[in-house]
Amino acid sequence: MDDSRNIKILIVDDEKGLRTGTKRLLESEGYQVECAENGTDGIKAGSSKEFDLALIDLKMPDVDGIKVMKEILKVHPDTICIIATAFASYETAIESTKYGAFSYIPKPFTPDELLHQLEQAYSRRELLLEKEKWTKEREERLLEVAFEKTRLNTIINSTSDGLLVVNKNGEAVLFNPSALKFLKLENLVVEEQIMDKLHPEIAELINKFLKNRTFEKKSYSTQIEMEPDQKLFVEATSSPVPHPDGTLAGVVVVLKDITELKKIELLKSQFVSMVSHELKAPIAAVYGYLKLFSDSTIQLTENQKQNYITRSQIRLEGLLKMVNDLLDISRMEMKTVNREIKEIDLCEIIKSISELYQLEIKKKCLQLEIKVQEGTHFLHADKDEITRLITNLLTNAIKYNRIGGKIEINVLSSNRYIVVEVKDSGIGMKPEEKAKLFTEFFRAKNESTKNIGGTGLGLSIVSRIVDSYSGKIEVESEYGNGSSFKVFLPIEIGHSA
Amino acid sequence: MTKIAIIDDDPDILDASGLVLMSKGYDVVTAANPEDGYKIVKEHSPDLIILDVMMNEPDDGFFLAQKFRREKITTPIIMYTSVSKSFGMDYGVNELVPVDEFVEKPISPEQLIKKVERLLKKKETK
Repeated sequence: MDDSRNIKILIVDDEKGLRTGTKRLLESEGYQVECAENGTDGIKAGSSKEFDLALIDLKMPDVDGIKVMKEILKVHPDTICIIATAFASYETAIESTKYGAFSYIPKPFTPDELLHQLEQAYSRRELLLEKEKWTKEREERLLEVAFEKTRLNTIINSTSDGLLVVNKNGEAVLFNPSALKFLKLENLVVEEQIMDKLHPEIAELINKFLKNRTFEKKSYSTQIEMEPDQKLFVEATSSPVPHPDGTLAGVVVVLKDITELKKIELLKSQFVSMVSHELKAPIAAVYGYLKLFSDSTIQLTENQKQNYITRSQIRLEGLLKMVNDLLDISRMEMKTVNREIKEIDLCEIIKSISELYQLEIKKKCLQLEIKVQEGTHFLHADKDEITRLITNLLTNAIKYNRIGGKIEINVLSSNRYIVVEVKDSGIGMKPEEKAKLFTEFFRAKNESTKNIGGTGLGLSIVSRIVDSYSGKIEVESEYGNGSSFKVFLPIEIGHSA
Repeated sequence: MTKIAIIDDDPDILDASGLVLMSKGYDVVTAANPEDGYKIVKEHSPDLIILDVMMNEPDDGFFLAQKFRREKITTPIIMYTSVSKSFGMDYGVNELVPVDEFVEKPISPEQLIKKVERLLKKKETK
């Protein structure tokens, strides 16, 4: 016998000789043997722990073998019992198997007879255990399926996308709350005719499968404005649901809220329109002048010619600057800017920028004053970006200043920020102009600004740079009385508040 | 003499278009914003108006055109646009946009003259 099986057997017999003899025999065969010397002890032993097999004597003085077996089987129904009897008869055999014995063995028995019986009994035990295991597994799987089903329902009901399944008769068989919301349906009953209640475009998507009954196309999609004024845009996608045999069972429709996407799309197309408009304006101007030159019926004076050439050049320079600004913005949007963060000296940067614009400052007779608070002019940032930021603020302060005005640049620290303030004594802004200040292409247009050129992208770039450092901008302005731009930049990158 | 009003916030466009029209013998008055545009039309009663859509605001030109029509000024209007489909609006000649012709910038002088002459002729036969 294979010892590794470690078969546990209980022997219940009042005959001491037989008990010990059998025990010795079975132990030598690798069985794990326990004995009980009467029926009462047998019941106690067989119930308190589960034996694989039990060999029970039929006739015992206190409790008979059948009763012992019944009691044991009550607790451990898979213990295989063999009844041993010196009075073997057809009746006892019938009776013992009726009450659950696997077999009976007449006494006296030879070791071979016993071992043969036990082997068969153990095969039975193994079969039972196997069956038990399968039953348990099946129950677990059923439980799992039930759990999966409720879980799937919960998932379907809580997903933000709408889900609607329609059978081939056009009845709703499955739907979730999101679907009702998107379809603008108050309530819906399972198996209710739904085709008439659907938005015609969605009904059409479903009918494409229901009417043709083919799966040539995997899905149809459409975008539908369910509520006007950008309130609800839905993307509906229909796909066929096949039966296992390949015929059409129904159609599943997935509804996605794409309102935000549509808003962004609109913003994008507005931006493209604005860009085209801004790019076309200088082209149209230069084109107009060139046409004047080439038109033989128009006589231009030398002065006019010179004037138009100069103005064309100015417009083209502006165009080039705008294209460069747009490229910068696009680079910032795509975050492909190669930043070189290191300690930079704001003092040095401000000085070199103001030297670059000396000529413009002198032309307008402006007074430039730079004040730097002790020890505040070092910052961790990309030098080119900070140069760009201060340049844009300074050139605005020059452009929108009055003749003989003043520009102040102050650098100071406030908490964990370095503050750069650019203050001018220029024309200032009306509150409604201030609100649109950082919008692309916005330029305050009024009598005092009509001769000031620009791309309308300068402050938009400033705001993007400041944002990218997690900084902030404060603007103060009074119409006719100058403006002040305060840029807050975190001293250490990543230490921003 | 036939008088044409040009209303556009781009001084270079005013100059170039003005010169072209003057060379063809038209009398030209110009304005660089909607307010002045309204004034010159009231003052000079031109035979034709060339009006830019986008000035201070993207739809300034529309509002001015609507204002003229409300005040029973029926002078033909050619509208200058640089983007025909901006802000999701399809520009087309209809009662909302009471103009007679749309022209996309940039336009060659020959085309501009052609459109101007056509509209003026239509006005005479009315």
